[in-house]
Parts: sequence; C-alpha cells; structure tokens
Amino acid sequence: MRTIIKLTGDLHTLIMRDLARPHPFAAERVGFAFGRTCALRGSARLILLTNYHPVPDEQYIDDPAVGARIGPDALTWGMQAVYHGRLLREGIFHVHLHGHRGETGMSGVDRREIPALIPGFQSVGREAAHGIIILSLNHGSGWVWLPGSAECMHADGISVIGAPVQVFNRKARP
Amino acid sequence: MAYSQEQIDEIKRYCEKVSALSEGGITFLLLEKLRLPAGCEPSVCDALLCPVSRDGYPSRLYLSVQVSSRYSRNWNMTNARIGERNWVAFSWRVDIPNPSPAQLLIAHLMGFTKEK
Amino acid sequence: MRADRYSRQSFLGSDAEERISNCTVGIVGLGGGGSHIVQQLAHIGFQHYVIYDDDRVEESNLNRLVGARSVDVPAGTPKLHLAKMMIFGLQPGAEVKAFGCRWQEDPEPLRECQIVFGCVDSYKGREELEVACRRYLMHYIDIGMDVHGKENPVIGGQVILSSPGGLCIRCMGFLTDEKLAQEAARYGTAGGRPQVIWPNGVLASTAVGLAVNLLTGWTRRALTHAYLSYDGNEATVKESITLKNRSAGSCAHFTETDVGDPVLVAL
Repeated sequence: MRTIIKLTGDLHTLIMRDLARPHPFAAERVGFAFGRTCALRGSARLILLTNYHPVPDEQYIDDPAVGARIGPDALTWGMQAVYHGRLLREGIFHVHLHGHRGETGMSGVDRREIPALIPGFQSVGREAAHGIIILSLNHGSGWVWLPGSAECMHADGISVIGAPVQVFNRKARP
Repeated sequence: MAYSQEQIDEIKRYCEKVSALSEGGITFLLLEKLRLPAGCEPSVCDALLCPVSRDGYPSRLYLSVQVSSRYSRNWNMTNARIGERNWVAFSWRVDIPNPSPAQLLIAHLMGFTKEK
Repeated sequence: MRADRYSRQSFLGSDAEERISNCTVGIVGLGGGGSHIVQQLAHIGFQHYVIYDDDRVEESNLNRLVGARSVDVPAGTPKLHLAKMMIFGLQPGAEVKAFGCRWQEDPEPLRECQIVFGCVDSYKGREELEVACRRYLMHYIDIGMDVHGKENPVIGGQVILSSPGGLCIRCMGFLTDEKLAQEAARYGTAGGRPQVIWPNGVLASTAVGLAVNLLTGWTRRALTHAYLSYDGNEATVKESITLKNRSAGSCAHFTETDVGDPVLVAL
C-alpha cells in the first residue's frame, strides 16, 4: 500500500534545527510531529505533517547505552496531544535525526524500542495514523501504522514542500 | 460565526445532520439529507449553506445535485468545489438582515416554490 | 546519451537532474498555456506527471495549441493525447497519470504532486485549485492571459506562485470577491476569449522557470510567493504593483486547519 508523507519546508527546517541542537547528556534529540491522513487513489495514503513539538531537555533519561531515551512525561504529553487532536484525526510521529547523508533506516535500537510506543498512541487516537520518521542530513524515511493496523508500512517517500522542494524517495528494493 | 443551541436545533428540523465546515476563512453549514419542498426532484439531498457573501451573492445555498422543481432556475454554478465535494447552485438572491440559519435556509428554499 | 542530453543544464546544479526526475508535477488544463508547459517540462527532464483536460482539439485552438496539427481537428484528438505524445516523445520512461475529465471529478491523484500548474480560464477554477494545493501541500503556479479592449487591445497576463504557508492569490491581490462576482454574473455569456500563442509562451516559460528554481534553487533566491504581471504591449514581465504595495505579513486566508481533509464539526 503506497504511503507518502509531506511537510512544508518551514516545518522541515524547524525540525532539523531542533534535532541538531546539542543535549546536555543525550547523543540525539527526539521530537514529535503531528500528521493528518488523507486518501489517495485506491488504498494509498497521504500523511500531511502540520506541526512539531520538541521533547524538552528535562524529559530525557540519561542512558549512555542509547542515543536518546525519553521518559514517561514525554510519552504522557504525546498521548495527551493525540487525544486532543482526535477530532482532526491527527496522529503522532516519533522523529529523530541520524547524522549522515543519504537514505536512512532504523538502527537496531530504533527497531527494538520505538515501534513499542505505537499501540499506546493507537489506543488514544484510533482514527489516526501514527509512526516514526527518521531524518538524515539530506534525506528521510518514514514508517506508518495506519488506523487500526498492527502492520507497519514503510513510506514510499517524504516530500518537503519548500524552496527548494526536496523529495526523499524510498529506493526500490531488489 | 457562533450559533446558539436554539438556532442549531431550529435548522436541524430540516435535515438529518448539521455540521460546520471551515474553508478559506468561511464557515459553511453542511446540511445532510436536507428535505426539499414538495415538488422537488429529488426530494432530499445534501446542502451547504454559506451565510456570508461569496461568489457575488450575500448568502448562498449549494446543493449536492441539480434539483428540478415547479419553476425553471438558472443553475449558474454547476461545478463549485467546497470541502472536497462538488456542488451546484442556482441564481437566487437572499439578503435578510441578521437571519438565523433556519431563516436563511427557508429563504433560499423559496427559490423552489416562488416564481421570483 | 542521457549525460549529453542535459549537459547544457549543468548550471542548475549537480543534483538537478535527480531533483527534477524525482518531482511529480500536476498540470491542470492542457490548452494554450498548459500545452507549452508540458512541452517544456518534457524537454527539461521531468518524469512524473499528473495531467487533466476533458477537451478535444478544435479549429480555433490551432493558432496556439502546442503540439496540435491540422489533422487533429477532424480527428477530434483529445488534448490529453497531445500532451501524452509530447511527454513520451521526449521521455519514453515517464510515468503519466492522465485524466480526461475535470480534476474535481478525480482529485486524489493530484495530491501526490509537489508542484501543480494551473492553466485554467476562470477565477473560480483558480480559487478551487489553490484550496486543494493548500489542503494537500503543493506549490501552486498559476498562469493566465487576457486581451482587453477592441479598439486598442491590451494583452495582459500573470504568473503567480502560491506556496503552503506563504501568501495566497487573495493576499497578493489577484483574486478578489469582486472579480469572482463579476465572473459569476457573466456565466454562460463569456464565449471564446481572445488568445494568442506568444503571450502563452512567455507566461508558460516564466512559470516553468519558477518551478525549476523551486526544485534546484539555482538562482539562490528562495521564493515563498510570486506575482509576476505580464504586459503584452510593452513586452515586459514585472512584479505586480498590487504585490509591491502589499504590506508584509502572513497569509490571512489559509491557516493550519485548512491542511488535510475537511473537518466537519457536528453541531
């Protein structure tokens, strides 16, 4: 099922600037983006990211074993935001940055820990899509759980509608 | 534009469901399964009530389908896209000072029952 | 061969070819303006198209419809077909989603675009396209021309860039309630408007230039909006006076709530 993510250039810049800021002890930063799901042709879906919330410094947990670990306050905030956004069917996307160029994927830690957050978000925002977005310095990848689905869709692309336009297409797998 | 519960209940008598839809700075009222006056074919359709000036009219009632009635009308809006749906409207000018939504609706529906 | 084809465009940047080929463009209206745009996009190297037009070639189109031939008139060739021939003749591997209808009748495919060219002939049509582009996050580039006056004809036209988060065509002073009302009052009486090829060419080329800049950033000018006014008598394209006179600020007509599918609030 084709899934595309779009956001404005201003939002992308805001996210990149936030994620690039140093943290007192975490090696990486995390934020939450919010997106609305729309229909494309057939069963394809379009996710439109509309805003971004950086996780405050004090809501991280000092864990040298991982790049960043966010604490229960951050997750509680995220769940509340999903609840408040349910009229708009707005879902939540865990966002972080891998500091390399080119297409990016989930690290072993990402794969182990981030998808575990999704069922909680789905329980609060049942009609919204939720997911994960990992940006690199010049690319980005997304993973989307459509409403009611336990299955994760690897997004076909992320488009940054700014100046310049940036299109991060998922490279075709052999 | 905020409506009182009384005003909402009043307009609800004419249709199955009333919702607010905002687009381009205008708040429309979506009237689902609006019951049209006798003699209209079809007798029920969805409608979008625009209570403010738009397209050269002080207010307008858009319909989901073209409706035939006793009087032939000039359907001068055959392809309006609002709220990701397509609408039609005929030329009928309604200009009432401070109408309630129901009063506005009734005045527009007279376009099906009054010659002019 | 591919390297040779775009060698003269290298000033657009080392990654320009990839940026251009990754972009999905929408073109709504394949008449005098849209046919020029399709031709140019195909030459430049665009690979993904979503195109709409429900019309067929007529005799009166032949003075300006790029790609049309005399035989297309008796054949009743759809304008959509001309556009596809143009694209595939230059880009045989292109992906073209073509719709022989009004875009409003099949709107979902347009939402995949990053840039949409509006080559429609009504203010209402422009307004509706812009709403869709704001809802589904697409740059909207509008072109149009007109000829005023019989005794002393004046050719005018516009190229407008309306981007999500930036000034809209109302903010820039092009679209007004008065124009929409006048157009509504003229419904059914418009008839064939004067149209000639060279203003279409100027406007289409300017519009394509805006799009290429949006993709490649080659001018180093990041535009959030543009309203270029064409004076066909003076042969100039300049920033519109209404935009120049506008005080700075953000868009007054589209907000964050206008993004995505419409939200119905039950009353």
